[in-house]
Amino acid sequence: MASNAAVPFWRAAGMTYITYSNICANLVRNCLKEPYKTEALAREKVHFSISKWTDGKPEKPTLRSDSPVE
Amino acid sequence: MAMAALRREGRRFAPLISPRPITAFRSSPLAPTREDEGPIGVRYISTQVVRNRMKSVKNIQKITKAMKMVAASKLRAIQTKAENSRGLWQPFTALLGDTPSVDVKKNVIVTVSSDKGLCGGINSTSVKISKALHKLNSGPENETKYVILGEKAKAQLVRDSKKYIELIITELQKNPLSYTQVSVLADDILKNVEFDALRIVFNKFHSVVSFLPTVSTVLSPEIVEREAEAGGKLGDLDSYEIEGGETKGEILQNLTEFQFSCVMFNAVLENACSEQGARMSAMDSSSRNAGDMLDRLTLTYNRTRQASITTELIEIISGASALEG
Repeated sequence: MASNAAVPFWRAAGMTYITYSNICANLVRNCLKEPYKTEALAREKVHFSISKWTDGKPEKPTLRSDSPVE
Repeated sequence: MAMAALRREGRRFAPLISPRPITAFRSSPLAPTREDEGPIGVRYISTQVVRNRMKSVKNIQKITKAMKMVAASKLRAIQTKAENSRGLWQPFTALLGDTPSVDVKKNVIVTVSSDKGLCGGINSTSVKISKALHKLNSGPENETKYVILGEKAKAQLVRDSKKYIELIITELQKNPLSYTQVSVLADDILKNVEFDALRIVFNKFHSVVSFLPTVSTVLSPEIVEREAEAGGKLGDLDSYEIEGGETKGEILQNLTEFQFSCVMFNAVLENACSEQGARMSAMDSSSRNAGDMLDRLTLTYNRTRQASITTELIEIISGASALEG
């Protein structure tokens, strides 16, 4: 029932289901014991650069790198 | 003796003297420059140019062979991942169906491509499919935007569809692909783009030499509800019971978001897999071509060498017989 109560909270905080589930997944990963924990956390790296275009002009690309969602 | 002097001259001006047989080579991309053409009337043929060319072709062959090896090992790693990730979207298709022909106002085409080239035509195929979809879905009241993944599709689409581009995402494959990464990316797309239907275009990996250009459609929750009322596959949604205090709208929204990230994950993996496969076969055929070229060059080289030896022999013999006679 806890998850049901949580729904409005994370939605109200401006999170999507994906962010929410990623946070949950990260919590589970943090519960692993040591040799596996660092391995699992090292596996989940984020790196890409994203740039928004408006009216055929690119804006400055932002780099999202090595910041597993907290 | 004059011959010997000339030969010494010829050696000194080796690049000046024309290797005629090479210029006759149709496939030789090195156009014969002025320096390669020897002065008219010189009877000696320098084989140096041919030798240099053979060396460079050999080096190119080595490089393409190495690239093929790299692609093959990368493919093996990513293929299992891609095949396992198919289990993520299949339940969604079973539940929500796939509706590529849905007619909505705001279309977003997500074109998945690679960052690097030398991988055959997979990027052009996905760009072509995206352009066709764009044409199909734009009308007076519909608008269609692009979200582009990868440098290669960007380079092709920037040329003529600049004003429809919403987002460009690159450098995806720096680390090995993981769900976390793709889901963060999917999240960014969802936050930055308004959509009624997302159409994801990618190359589905079939085998090392065949890729199916594929379109997956993800509908927004409102459209899912609209379609559900219209009946069909989505009409069956009402027969499911919803647990807990959530409304159907909330469930659908969560489901859509999760579906999008799963479909994206699969699409990115399948496309990476196709890329490596295509690169492998492209590199295979290019090393084979280099081998063919090398064979032809060797043949020319040997033949020219033999011809010059024969000429020299004839000259010596005829000179000797002239002295005797």
